[in-house]
Order: sequence, then structure tokens, then C-alpha cells
Amino acid sequence: MPQIKMLADKVRLVSEATDKFKTGCISISMALPMDERMAANSLLVYLLKRSCKAYPEMSLLSGKLDELYGAILGAAVSKNGESQVLTLSITCLADKFALEGESIQLEAAQLLADIIFKPNVRNSSFGADALATEKRLLIQRIEEELNDKRTYAFNKCISCMCKNEAFGKDKYGTVEEIENVKMADVYEAWKNMLSTAVFQITVVGAADADKVASAFEKNFEKIERKPAEIETVFVQKSRRFNRYEEKFPVNQGKLVMGFRAGMSHRKDNIFAVTVMNDIFGMGTYSKLFTNIREKMSLAYYCWSRLIASKGIVLVESGIDTDKEKKVSAEVLSQLSDLRNGKTDPEVLESSKRALRERHAFTTPEGILGWYSAQVLCDEIMTPEDMVSGIEKVTMDDVCAAAKKLSVDTVFMLSAQEEAENEV
Amino acid sequence: MKFKKYTDKKLGETVYCGKHESGLEIRVLPKEGYSSAYAVFGTKYGSIDTAVRNADGEFETIPEGTAHFLEHKLFESEDLNAFERFAKTGASANAYTSFEKTAYLFKGSDKIEESLEILLDFVQNPYFTQQTVEKEQGIIGQEIRMYQDLPDWQVMFNMLKALYSSHPVRIDIAGTQESIAQIDADLLYRLYETFYNPANMVLCIVGDVDHKRVAEIVEKNIRKTEGKKCERKYEKESPVPVNNYVEEKLSVAQKQFMLGFKEDISEPLLSLEDEIASQIMLEAVTGKSSPLFKKLLDEELIDMGFGSELFNGFGFSCVMLGGTSKDPEKTASIIKEEFARLNAEGIGSDAFERAKRKLYGRMVMNYNDIDDTANMLMNLYFNGYEPFAEIEACKSVTLAKAQERLSKIKDEYSALSVIIPA
Repeated sequence: MPQIKMLADKVRLVSEATDKFKTGCISISMALPMDERMAANSLLVYLLKRSCKAYPEMSLLSGKLDELYGAILGAAVSKNGESQVLTLSITCLADKFALEGESIQLEAAQLLADIIFKPNVRNSSFGADALATEKRLLIQRIEEELNDKRTYAFNKCISCMCKNEAFGKDKYGTVEEIENVKMADVYEAWKNMLSTAVFQITVVGAADADKVASAFEKNFEKIERKPAEIETVFVQKSRRFNRYEEKFPVNQGKLVMGFRAGMSHRKDNIFAVTVMNDIFGMGTYSKLFTNIREKMSLAYYCWSRLIASKGIVLVESGIDTDKEKKVSAEVLSQLSDLRNGKTDPEVLESSKRALRERHAFTTPEGILGWYSAQVLCDEIMTPEDMVSGIEKVTMDDVCAAAKKLSVDTVFMLSAQEEAENEV
Repeated sequence: MKFKKYTDKKLGETVYCGKHESGLEIRVLPKEGYSSAYAVFGTKYGSIDTAVRNADGEFETIPEGTAHFLEHKLFESEDLNAFERFAKTGASANAYTSFEKTAYLFKGSDKIEESLEILLDFVQNPYFTQQTVEKEQGIIGQEIRMYQDLPDWQVMFNMLKALYSSHPVRIDIAGTQESIAQIDADLLYRLYETFYNPANMVLCIVGDVDHKRVAEIVEKNIRKTEGKKCERKYEKESPVPVNNYVEEKLSVAQKQFMLGFKEDISEPLLSLEDEIASQIMLEAVTGKSSPLFKKLLDEELIDMGFGSELFNGFGFSCVMLGGTSKDPEKTASIIKEEFARLNAEGIGSDAFERAKRKLYGRMVMNYNDIDDTANMLMNLYFNGYEPFAEIEACKSVTLAKAQERLSKIKDEYSALSVIIPA
């Protein structure tokens, strides 16, 4: 069971101490609304990761991390429901592995706090060069999403499907918005983040949660907190079917089908929906794997993924472009079997066993990921809670959950014809 | 079965190594506080094994991608396939083929012994028919197409093709549409018999397990066949690359590059010490705290994805550096200048010590993950090393050794591979 403590208004510490790992990990999740600040927020998190007062250059900070036995400092931007979540994290060795008796954990925790609260700011500026570099790197990062067609198609399906919802926005903001961010905007985004973001500090492994807590508590004392209200719109049923297509000079097409899961909030019927999605297309016993790959050999991969924080399910597969109709028809036919109870009861048991395994986290990163994803949940759910909920799901529950799935959007990334290829 | 115990006190881990009379090597690392286990059963047969000794003792060429194809097909059986069998224990099963090995694995927390029996059983019981082989050609065909569209993958293989003229490291692990079309059930059976004998294999398990129980399960489930380690064909090739520059157009946003330096090796395998000294050297010279990284970033020639590594195995060794760049040729020339400068002036001892600490830290961190640990134990065995040899080697690397490894990087043995936006 994790320890939970409130350090300030909507600043929650969740910790699971154990000495079985070689490391201690601390992750700070900062949830913000998806508003006009998104681009500035994204730049901010990378600027914070770059340096701090004590190590004002990227190479100096990197050198410090190397000295701390290769401590890993992470920065990320993600969507969690209709919220933009900024994450800063550090992973480093437990003190007992230090070769010269140093306290790695305490230094790492202090460093992470410094990165957030004592950035390399002078006269309300993070430095013009630093901002210019981070703009270039972020824009490049967004443009490079095109390189991995699988992820590109997946994200594109979401943005088409949710084009009238905040969830359809790019997690970083648009390239144009990033180009237009001014130094004052980033500084304001930093102040805004400290005062309005919903914080979760997640600590796992050898890190000393009490020391982390006091380091953060002290910093929050000076900050006037006005936490943001963050709401996610759940569209329970598809209103109109849409198909989108983009052509590229590629060998393999990517089919992504977006479904509304019929959920009204992120925990709505979550156990049944989780099992339903797993049987539909997550395990090797799933309908999609056993039919589209194994029986029909149409694809190397065909999976479904549930995004509970938005109540949607996405099916993705890499296929020959001319097989789109065949594959999408088969996906729907498999869904129809799932709805109508045409599922071997043994598969339900297989799914429950596999889901139990999937929640038996064996790495600190796994545990950290589980808890930090709950930054916006009022109640913390343990993996054990999830597993015991899943145990109770019946085949009828699965069918009922499947009946609520409605196909909303198809995105097809097609291979261009050979002739076009040679241009 | 007798086990030898290896303990690293500082690390707090113990590995039990034993050899079954069939020739199978077993390595077990029990982890306290863990309720799951990860097991990997591997054979020293990878994509570089494109030649096999036949009955006349001569090397015979086999189609590219056969090891990988065999990996896919072993999951099949006459009744329940391996996935269906693992579904009953809840373990998640998988397999992979690399340049030098094929590995089958599972991870689970419930019914671990039962899962281990399934693993041993399915890998030792091949079942191939012409019909199932043809079905797999469709699935693997899609896998090959998927990789053809991945720029990271293409930029590396294009570089390997430019560096190596005959060594099979230059071919794609999955083969090609044409090469897999030549595979049939008979060939798979023949190769199975050659490469899948216990003497050519290792079983590594990490997590909630006991070595004595593992020995009992192996005893009960292992084929008592006569077998021997397979000999690899070694032909030394000239260190001079085939081409110094290659490019390909793909659907990417910006140019991607990989710069490779082929090493003039005298033996088929590098020593572990050389390997780790190279890793430390590359971290010191090209890592995020290095002057080179700063210069390239300041000149807008790279992004945070820039990285380097030593890539080596039986009969090949090269240093690879790559990432995204608007000007790969300029980036390559700056890298070469920096190597030349540090060859002349020497690597700073601060940079060396930092890099060494970082590598040591990362090695210890690897033991968090039962997956990583088991795979590492397997790699050490296949390369002839005892457990924890990597940590010992890391601690003992000197600056002089790192400097010597840098001196092996030569401009005249380099090739630049570039992916250009289509």
C-alpha cells in the first residue's frame, strides 16, 4: 500500500518505499488545462530540464548527473484526459551502491527540487539562447513524429476523431504557437505552473519520501496556490462515422480505427471495459491477434488500446494498403462476435490471468507509471484494487461493455502508388 | 546437477551456474522480494548464421532470415500453440531473434514452474508443415515491410551494408521477401536439428525461483540428445568499407544519419574489457556533458537524440554515431576532428571518471529489471563470461585503455549513411 500525504492544496505525495530495487525514483507530475499556454508550458518543462541555478549550463548539469552514477533526469509532456501533464523525474542508485559512501538519493532529490523551484532565471528570463534552442528542438520533435508512421497514424486518428474536443490538440501545442512564444510567456508559465498545476509527487524504491516531502513542502510555503479546475469531456457515443486518409511513399499502410467506449468518466465501468478491450485486441488470445494475424495472416500486428482517461479505444494495424476494407470489416466482425457472446469462456479466464500479471509491476518505473497516471484522480487506486475488480467481471459484463463501443473514425495512412513513388 | 555460486556482495546478488549433462547451461538469479520470474531459453543461432556445416563438413549457405523464421514457427504445434498454452498460466510469452542468437521467453508471477515446463517443451518440439510455413510468410512479409519504413532501422542497415562487404551482419535480421520465399518445412527441420541442441543453448531465469527446483524441472523436461556447439564460419574481411557514403530517400521530416567506423579486428571477438572501455570512451567523448555534444548542439547540427555506441559481435566491430541533422556531412567531419583532437591531446581524466561512474551506475540499475538481468546473463554466457564480469570489467578500465580504444577509430574505415526526406 502506498503512503499518501497532502503537502499543499492539490499537491499530493504518493510513495511506495521498498529496498528491493537498486534505485530510487521520484517523479513530479504537473497537470494543467489544455489552454492557450500549452506551447509555453512545453517549452518550460524542457527549459527546466536543461539547467538550474546551481548548474547553469546543460553540459554542467549533465556532468553532475554522470557523477551521481548516471542518474537519469527525465522531462516529458503528455495528455492525461483533457489535461496537459508536464513531468520531471529523476532515477538514481540507492546509496548503498555508491563506491565512495556518498548520499546519492538526497542529492538527487535536492537537484530535482532545485530544477523546479530554482531554475536558471535572471530578470525573469531563462536566457534567449536557451529558449531559441529549446524551440528548435521542440519543433523538430513534433516534425519528427512523421518518421514513425505507426505513432503518427495513431495520433492522427485521435486528432481527427476529437477535432472538436480539447483532446484532439497536439500535446505540445502547435508549431506556430511554439514559434510565437516569448520569454515573458515562459516565465509566466512557470509562475502559473507553480501556483495552479495539480501536483503529484510520486516516490518509489530507495528514495526517502520524508526528505522529499520536506524539500517540496518548504518550497510550496512561499507559493500562493490556486489549483486549476480540470475537466474532460466524455463523448459516449459516436455521432457520425468519418474516414480520413493520407498518402505517403511507404511500403506498409497503417490502419487506425477509433471507437467511443461509452464511458462517462475515467473510472466508469472500468473493470469490464478493461477486460473487454483486452479480449478484443490486447492479448495473444485476443480476437484481433488470433484472427487477423494468426488465422488470416493479414498483419504482423493488430492491437486495440484503451485510453480510459478519455473513454476511447483505438485499434491499430500495419497492413497492405489494398487490404483496408478487408481488415476493417474483419475488426468490426470480431467486435460483433464479442458483443454477441461468441467468445470461448476460457479466453475470459486467460484475459483475467494476463491482466493480473500486467498489474504485477516488477520495476520501479512500472509502479511509478501506475501511480503518476492518477495525478487527476481524487482517490488513488492500487494495482491490487484493479485486479480484484477485474476478477469479478463476467462474460455478460464484457458483452455489455462491447455493445457500448461505437466506431467513430477511421484513419488510413496509405502507401502511394509505385508511379508516384518514383518522382 | 552441480551448481557453482557467484556472488557480488556490493551488488547484493548471487547467480547459480550449472551445466546439465545434455550440455545445456543454466543460470539462475533468485531475487528477494520479487513475486515474478523471467526466463529466457536461447540458442546461439542468429541472423549472421547464414552458413551451416553439412554432413560433408563443408559450409552450406542458407536463406537470409531463416533463424527469425524458425523463431516464429516454433510457437506452432500440432494441437495448442505456445501462446495458447501460456494463456493457461497467465505468463506473457515472446521471442526475439538478433544477429547472434534466438531467444524464447516468458514472464509471470503465478504457476512459474508450469510456465517453465511449457517453455522447455515448446522450444524442443518443432512442428512445421508446408501450410503453416506459407501462412507465416504473409505475417513475416508484413513485419519486413514495417521495418522498411522505419528510418532508424534503415539508416543502420544501410550503414552496415556500406561497411561490410561479405560479413552477414550486413543483412536484415528478418531477411527479404525473396529469401523467406525459399524457406520450406524440410529446411526448418534440418536447421532446427543443427542449432537447437542443448549444447548450443542456455536457460537463464531471474526472480522468484530456486535453482534446485529449476534443475529438477530441466532434468525432467530436457531432451537427452547428443549435440555439440555449432561452429561459426569466420572469414576475416578487410577493414576498408565498401562505400564511404550511402543515402536513401524515405518519408521523414529531416535528414537522419549514422556514421560508422569499422574496426580492424585481429580476432573474431573483442574482449569484454575492450568492449566496456569503448563504451566509457564513447560516453566521455560524445556524451551529453562532452564538448563535442555542446558544439554540435550549438551549431544546430543535432538534437537530443544524438547518440553513439559500440556495435560488435562475432567477426564484426564498429562504432556508430547517429541522429537527426540538417547537415550530416558537416556533423561527421566535426566528429572526426574531435576524435583526432582527443587522440592527440588525450581524453581528460575528469571526463573519463564521470563516464566510468555513469556506466557503473547504469550497470547496477540493470539489475532492477528481471528481463534485462536474464538477457544479460545469457549474453555473458554466449560470449564466454561468468556472471558479474561486466561490472568487474567496468571497475578495472583505465584511462589508458579508453585512450587505446579511441585510437582504433580510423577515418579511412568509416562510412556515412544518410536518409533523405522523400
